[in-house]
Amino acid sequence: MAKKWGQKVRNWMAKKMDLPQDVMMDLPRITMIGQIHIYIENHRGLLAYTDKELRLLLKQGQLLIKGKSFVIKTFLPEEVLLEGKIDQVIYITDNPGGAK
Amino acid sequence: MKNQWIEFIFGRVTVKVSGKGVERFLNILARNGLHIWNIKRHGTETITFKMRLEDAKNIRHYARHSECNISFLQRSGVPFLFKRLLKNSGFLIGAGIFLFILLLLSNVIWGIEIKGAKPATEYQIRKELDKMGVKIGKLQFFVDNVEGIQRRLTNNVGDLTWVGVELKGTTYHLQVVEKNEPKKQKQLLPQNLIAKKKAIIVKMDIEYGQKVVDRNDHVEAGQLLVSGIIGEDGLKPELVSAQGEVWGETWYKSHVELPFKTNFNVFNGKEKQKYYLSFGKLEVPIWGFGEHGFKKFETEKTVHKIHFLKWELPVSYIHKTIREREEFTRTYTNEEAEQNALELAKKQIKSQLDEDAIIKDEKILHKAIKNGKVILDIHFKIIENIAVGAPISKETHE
Repeated sequence: MAKKWGQKVRNWMAKKMDLPQDVMMDLPRITMIGQIHIYIENHRGLLAYTDKELRLLLKQGQLLIKGKSFVIKTFLPEEVLLEGKIDQVIYITDNPGGAK
Repeated sequence: MKNQWIEFIFGRVTVKVSGKGVERFLNILARNGLHIWNIKRHGTETITFKMRLEDAKNIRHYARHSECNISFLQRSGVPFLFKRLLKNSGFLIGAGIFLFILLLLSNVIWGIEIKGAKPATEYQIRKELDKMGVKIGKLQFFVDNVEGIQRRLTNNVGDLTWVGVELKGTTYHLQVVEKNEPKKQKQLLPQNLIAKKKAIIVKMDIEYGQKVVDRNDHVEAGQLLVSGIIGEDGLKPELVSAQGEVWGETWYKSHVELPFKTNFNVFNGKEKQKYYLSFGKLEVPIWGFGEHGFKKFETEKTVHKIHFLKWELPVSYIHKTIREREEFTRTYTNEEAEQNALELAKKQIKSQLDEDAIIKDEKILHKAIKNGKVILDIHFKIIENIAVGAPISKETHE
């Protein structure tokens, strides 16, 4: 309950003080360059990786990227740069709190 | 994007990981601050990625706690290139030796060309050069410089009037002028012999012509000594070129001054050799360290430019000789001073005369000692050839 309350305060602060949401709320920041590059910051670890699929753990839920011939160009504790042909970027969430 | 050059310099390896839970393994690596990139999947259980060489040393530690097997595939970067270079060091050494030999051979004397000398003189010059160490195949560094060679040749080979030494590339060009030039053809034009100065005739040695004066005659400068017009009285005179020597006693006056005390700067034989390599203006000593400790000295510097093929490198080999100088005071007594002044006067007179002139007698006319100097006026009697040719102009006798 306390964690959720903390989330609410953060959300409110981000809105009222015009702060970037990703910094305030530990949300992933995803940058895509066309279909060929995707750059994800603020992930929480690699769950699965094949050349057709990349699954990343987020603070809340997971991020699933589907496509073809994936190569992870950079892999850092909180950043991933993926190269290949990206078809889909899917958020998998149990509770939709993170996105709201 | 990261700068790949850093990784290139420090070396990178490609790692193959196979087993279950490779993703977990990657997470562990990333969290422990190991840089990994270019992750690719091959099949279901295998991935490859690249990492830094220094991180690769630690990877076993993490791999032990996981269920993955790791193996290294490809190594690239400077450390590995360097290793290869060491392995193939023969090539490197060969290239070095090649350059060194080329440099060495560019500084070797490859030829000595002598122009303008007779074979005999040329042989003498070559012998003298040999003595100096100027030989084909010798290094130019250890040979005197061009001026030195020129000086020594001129001093030591008697037949040379002048020799010009020039170093062109690896060849010494010697231009020689010999003393014994081919004799000029004797002038066969009609001439008289006349006196070049006032004299008393001592000896006459006439090859051709009619002598006009006799021994013990007093002649004035310009007086006819031997006539080129010969012929019996009444017959048509014949014009010939009078030849011969007429020796006459002539007189010279000479004035010399010689101080009793003279200061000389002399070298006392102590010297120190120093060798340098100079790069531009910077001189780096390579041999002969330490202070010379001379109070007064003179430095002789010989610079040898180092050549590479036909180019002159900005590097030169310098040989410095530092000689100690001492001041030396020569003091004469009265008699010594007089003696030496006389010798000096004789030398001065001789330098004015022909080589075959003889000093017959000298007489001191006046002697004075003033301001620490001895002053002499000397009268010399010289026996010399006073005959000079004077052409007879034909018009006057026709």
